[in-house]
Amino acid sequence: MKKFAVIGLMVLLVFVVSAYAVSAPKIYFVSTQMHPAGEREFMVGTLLKSFAKESGINVEFLALTYNEMLSRVSAEEKTGKVTISVIGDLHGGLDVMASRNLLQEVKGIPLPNRTFISTLEKYSVIKGKKVYVPWMQATYVMVVNKEAYKYLPNGLTKEDVRKPTEKWTYEALLQWAKNMKEKTGTPKFGLPMAPKGLFHRFLHGYLLPSFTGYEAKEFDSPNGIKAWEYMRKLVNYIHPASSTWAAMSEPLLKGEVLLAWDHTARIKPAIVQQPDKFEVIPVPRGPAGRGYIVVAVGLAVPKKAPQKEAAYKLIDYLTRPSTQVLVLQHVGFFPTVKEATGKIPTGALRILARGVTAQSSSPDSVIAMIPNLGKYGGEFTNTYRKVFKKVVLQKASLQKEVSAAAKLLKSLFEKAGTPIQ
Amino acid sequence: MRSERSLAPYLLFMPTLIYLAVFLVYPLLKALFMVITPEEGTGYTLANIYAVLSDSTFWEALKNTILLAAVIIPLQVFLALMLALFVNTKFRGYMTIVYLITIPLALSDVSAALMSYNIFSPSGYINKILLNLNLIKHPIYFFGFNATTSEFWVIVITEVWRATPLVFIILLAGLQMIGREYFEAADVFGFTKFQKFIYITLPLLKPSLQSALLLRTLFAFQIFGVVWLLAGRDIPILAGETFYQQTELQQYHIAAVYGFVIALISILISWVYLTFLKSAKEV
Repeated sequence: MKKFAVIGLMVLLVFVVSAYAVSAPKIYFVSTQMHPAGEREFMVGTLLKSFAKESGINVEFLALTYNEMLSRVSAEEKTGKVTISVIGDLHGGLDVMASRNLLQEVKGIPLPNRTFISTLEKYSVIKGKKVYVPWMQATYVMVVNKEAYKYLPNGLTKEDVRKPTEKWTYEALLQWAKNMKEKTGTPKFGLPMAPKGLFHRFLHGYLLPSFTGYEAKEFDSPNGIKAWEYMRKLVNYIHPASSTWAAMSEPLLKGEVLLAWDHTARIKPAIVQQPDKFEVIPVPRGPAGRGYIVVAVGLAVPKKAPQKEAAYKLIDYLTRPSTQVLVLQHVGFFPTVKEATGKIPTGALRILARGVTAQSSSPDSVIAMIPNLGKYGGEFTNTYRKVFKKVVLQKASLQKEVSAAAKLLKSLFEKAGTPIQ
Repeated sequence: MRSERSLAPYLLFMPTLIYLAVFLVYPLLKALFMVITPEEGTGYTLANIYAVLSDSTFWEALKNTILLAAVIIPLQVFLALMLALFVNTKFRGYMTIVYLITIPLALSDVSAALMSYNIFSPSGYINKILLNLNLIKHPIYFFGFNATTSEFWVIVITEVWRATPLVFIILLAGLQMIGREYFEAADVFGFTKFQKFIYITLPLLKPSLQSALLLRTLFAFQIFGVVWLLAGRDIPILAGETFYQQTELQQYHIAAVYGFVIALISILISWVYLTFLKSAKEV
């Protein structure tokens, strides 16, 4: 009798559990981000677990490559059997999906008590349609050893640089780097120019957009030529060992450079180790504005997505200031909402976030997105490095090299089927 | 029974043949296929070869690889020969010297490059000593985009230090094979030390020299780790460009062309050495 009672109880338990599982809403969230094991564990084990506890919605997290995701979203749309409710991807990828009319507008989602950084908000609207909600961002900034402020050129203050104001220009950077070299005896400005460094991002996402307003479109324009002429001057004050540095953390910590540019993740170790010594500052501006790259990650909803309300709740949860701070602490992606900056604990992360927010809130921003060129991506970045080597280091004919590179860049965009930017 | 015996040599040969077919012939054919096919689409093309040959970086890499080999190999052979002759006098405690000379043989090129970096970097030993002695005010930069000449010589020093022991061991073995009776006969005829070296040692050392030269030249054209770690792409070299095209640019077919050029040069060098340095007695 006792035996039957136990079996009966177990059957009941299984029934209750399955009934709960059937009744609890479940949505699919596909993402091209948070793929490494540690990040995925944080996403599933911490964020989505806490979301399920709070909302009663279970989320199945699917980490896919961009091509896998695009073909799945396209196939589901075609057959009308859409299973995906939320998509997390880079701006470039979402742009392509939006152009294929695969995404719904996400304008009216209730997202209270948060202000999205205006530049990110602006880029999430593609052809008049709000395509995604900004989720995370990463960028490249400058790091200054506070000692370098001693060598600021006349007329430029710390505040101009921190804010940034119109006075913080590439010409001012040239003068600053020159002062440092002349007063310390060695160049103190560094760039990660080693093959594994991200120097090419500086050229296509910072220098060219600041001088021409575009990464490649105006490459051989008079302002494009000026950008390379500028580099010919600046190179005299760039630390010569830059070509051996893949990341700027170590040269900053060793004091080999006092001012450097690099990806936020690659300068973080220096700031974590010596937070009192360094500050993160926005990049300078050029004649066309303050060009910089934003690695913007957005959250989008497929056009025929099931359980849209649950999807909106997930988007609300992921863009909450407190969730965004958790993401910064665990994964290193920066918040997209201004309220999150105040919630970041003091120390290295706050120093980094302050600089990133100052840069992305700058009114003269010229945002550059890493173009979605697929397999031509490598050739694209190599073209900038090649022009730098030939024109700046080997002093080859500027006009000839720049014209040839402009043609090549144009053909790469054409082959990839991406509008030149 | 008879057929079993005739099969035996082939069976013994099989593992080697299978190994060569899987790890050498197949990758080589696959690489050749990549060289003559486009990255996308079907059919055959010479576009990859044209793209590499019309790229100035390829010619720069070829020039640098040849230049490094041309400087490093003669230095290594000369140094190794001098050391081998010195050690072969078999003075007291000469084995200790042999051990000391051969230490770098145990090091990978990456370790050797890192050790070299610790010596020549701005915060390395040389700069520290010079700064402490007040001989310089600022560190000397041996590496960097405007220091390619010093980078070149640091690479030469590192490679000579790292790979000379290999040549040394081959030449020492060769020297120890030369019978004493030749030198005793030379003494009877009143040969000077120099004459003994020219007329006995060198000719009898030729097979060892040939092996050492062949090995070192082939390795010199595959030079990678030391250059990549110390100079990055400041000094482009063939193997470095192959790696860069494959991993950074993900242009696999272009990387295959670079790889194939290295293979062709290696085959050519082997042929030249085996043809023109053939020992007179070999029949």
